[in-house]
Amino acid sequence: MKKTEEKLTEFGESIIKQLEKGRDPYIKITQRSLGNVKYDDVKGFLVMGNKYSKRYYFNIAHTRKFMQTLLIASYCRQLISENKHAGIRELYYALKHTLEGTKKENTFEDQDESNPIIEDLELSLNILREELNLTADRRGYIYGDIVIKDGEDQFNCSKLGRGGWAVPGNVEEIEFKRVNAKYILVVETAAMADRLIEEKFAQKNKALIVACQGQAPRGVRRLIKRIRKEAKLPVLVFTDGDPYGWYIYSTIKQGSINLAYLSKRLSVPDSKFVGMTIDDIEMYGLENVTEKLKETDIKRIKEELEYPWFKTKDWQRQLKLALKKGVRIEQQALANKSLSFVADKYLPEKIKNEMFLS
Amino acid sequence: MKTANDLFKEFKILSVSEFFKKNADMLGYTGKIRSMTILVHEMVTNALDACEEAHILPEIRVEIDHRGDSHYEISVEDNATGIPLKFIPDVFGKMLAGSKAHRNMQSRGQQGIGVSGAVMYSQVTTGQPAVIISSTGEEMWEVKMNLDLQKNAGKIIEKNKINDNGWRGTKIVIEAKDVTYNKSKYSPYNYLRMSSIANPHARIEFIEPDGTKILFPRSSKTLPKSPKIMKLHPRGMSTDDLLVMAKNCRARKLGSFLRSELARVSRKKAEEIERVSGVSLDKNVSRLTWNDAERVVNAFKKIDFMAPSSEGLIPIGEENIIKGLSLINPEFSVAITRAPKTYRGGIPFIIEVGLAYGGKSEPGIEIIRYANRSPLVFDQGGCVINEAVKSIDWRRYRVNLESTPLTVFVNVTSTHIPYTSAGKQAIAMEEEIFNEVRFGIMETCRGLKRYMDSKRRAYRKKQRIDSLLKYAPETSKAISRLTGRDTDKVKNLFIKLIEKKYA
Repeated sequence: MKKTEEKLTEFGESIIKQLEKGRDPYIKITQRSLGNVKYDDVKGFLVMGNKYSKRYYFNIAHTRKFMQTLLIASYCRQLISENKHAGIRELYYALKHTLEGTKKENTFEDQDESNPIIEDLELSLNILREELNLTADRRGYIYGDIVIKDGEDQFNCSKLGRGGWAVPGNVEEIEFKRVNAKYILVVETAAMADRLIEEKFAQKNKALIVACQGQAPRGVRRLIKRIRKEAKLPVLVFTDGDPYGWYIYSTIKQGSINLAYLSKRLSVPDSKFVGMTIDDIEMYGLENVTEKLKETDIKRIKEELEYPWFKTKDWQRQLKLALKKGVRIEQQALANKSLSFVADKYLPEKIKNEMFLS
Repeated sequence: MKTANDLFKEFKILSVSEFFKKNADMLGYTGKIRSMTILVHEMVTNALDACEEAHILPEIRVEIDHRGDSHYEISVEDNATGIPLKFIPDVFGKMLAGSKAHRNMQSRGQQGIGVSGAVMYSQVTTGQPAVIISSTGEEMWEVKMNLDLQKNAGKIIEKNKINDNGWRGTKIVIEAKDVTYNKSKYSPYNYLRMSSIANPHARIEFIEPDGTKILFPRSSKTLPKSPKIMKLHPRGMSTDDLLVMAKNCRARKLGSFLRSELARVSRKKAEEIERVSGVSLDKNVSRLTWNDAERVVNAFKKIDFMAPSSEGLIPIGEENIIKGLSLINPEFSVAITRAPKTYRGGIPFIIEVGLAYGGKSEPGIEIIRYANRSPLVFDQGGCVINEAVKSIDWRRYRVNLESTPLTVFVNVTSTHIPYTSAGKQAIAMEEEIFNEVRFGIMETCRGLKRYMDSKRRAYRKKQRIDSLLKYAPETSKAISRLTGRDTDKVKNLFIKLIEKKYA
């Protein structure tokens, strides 16, 4: 922990040094854009390049962000020295106040201003959010026969009721005491995860069900990664059959563009995609329950066609097929067959026959 | 059936005064506000001219008193030499009195109707005589006078010699009906304000009907040079002009007449005229026929002459325009006196343009027009100056027509101003004048643009500094929390650097 404090102090000192030399002080910010992200096909995940930009105090377009970067750094240093943790929304409110000498300009107007700067800091100082004593907004839960020790509590995630265990933003400190499952099934929507829990899918198939509730948050991704690594369970991903669902899978598999620097800690390169696919529509007779692609869907699919990690034969075919048919298919459309169809037929059949998309 | 004699029994020759009595509107006396301002204009012009001809820095005092419904008394006083008693009836009572008309010379008035027109207006609307008080320093008289409209002459009806108490100058008091006073753009107030701008050497005091005293101070102590009588340039002449001059000149032969009476005609040019026109230079001028004159004038058009001398034209001068515009108290002003040009082939003129930005200028462009320093208050729409201002792409010069507080000053100086009518309030669309006004405005606008740009730069710089200073306290506090250094010391580092970069 001392090391993080030192880094933060050095960060402040470096600004003072620049000022004393009469130089326009700047902060190096690693670029978090597609242009600075590379798909490493040996490792199977996204890696961050070393392109950076400079945030100058004397560039009027940067000055406000420059101040915000230092405000967040100083707040984190305070958290560490007081041995406290704060959520990123708490950080936002803790730092928000009216600027001296102005009528209504605040240090931060919106959480959208503080969130990206936290990521800037993690990258620029090479410190993880967890080490800055910041926790992400939590989302997602796990259900299934796994015994976890979290601080002084120890529990089996299949004995906590239908809600399972809500995954915290930081899972570095937990321990897996016992795992009795054959694989992890990551499910995009909470509604689908609830359906599977009700259908006793976890018990019948010896599966751990993880609901990520949209794009998988850091806590969930780190949990999946740790179970994969420590309990050696394969990871299967089940999302909507649309560009957003597929991108959730790709994030779990090889990392996101935004957090590419964390790929090594978060990504599961050998995770498998179960569905939904456009082929499912025909295979399971779901033609009547598709949705039309919107303009934004089409644009997103076209972007995905260009991502190197989607350049496999199967994925290119799948994406092009979606464009050709002009439709998307949701997980819950399977209810059109029957409520238990997904748990009794669709998933067991696909998993047994390894009908995965890779 | 009527005979010619019957018909001509009714016919009588109108005197000039009578003609104008029947056509007062031609002199500009139309409408209550306009009539009031024209009266003040004629009287003030007369006063300024009197001072300048005597090389005296003018001190003019104008007072307007309310007498009744649409009924006012107007008095204008100057500090010139005063007028000897015997000349008073001519100065104030004779139209086309001959002091200015038919002289090829720059002057405020041109037709020589001026102040006698004001006396006439007073007489026909109130029946009251004009009161003239004048002191030459030797004797001082108070005179009541009328116009004899049929004889075109002034008639003294009462005179009193009074003690001058050391005062010298002239004061004229008239009464007028069918006039009214307000403080609009068309009012005597604005007229005097504009006069003051174009005549920074004059001190003008004005007392409004409600007793408000307004002073337009003198901002320059140099009197304008007196204009000179100039010879006519061949290019500006008509056949009729040539014949009239030929009949009244002292020369005997055409050759010597042309050389002595016209500008820019040398012996060589005279020979060229003879060759081109076929009219002998030895011809006796008094026997010049219409046909001869026409051939000579046609020859003028085919021959190249040196441009007419502009010696006789006395512009206000850039320095004095800026002094005059200082009445507006502008943030920025610029003025230009253009080189002399001619229109209609031979009439010289000089354009002057001044711009005043900010200060008392109201948002939007205000055009103030002058002819030989005399303000043009009415008929702006039909004036060449207005057209030229409208033709400018103001945005190029950072001027917004609605919101930029800008006064555009334009003075046309010429021996002959081409007015659109005898009301003398608008200058005709002469192409050469239009172009010169345009060029003058564009030239001054370049100065304005530089000022506006530097102002904008200064504003942006200030904004930049403000914004850098705004974030310094928070940034310093954060750095101090990171490093344990003193907040104020860090803040001073920022402030020092900001000052260094933007000093």
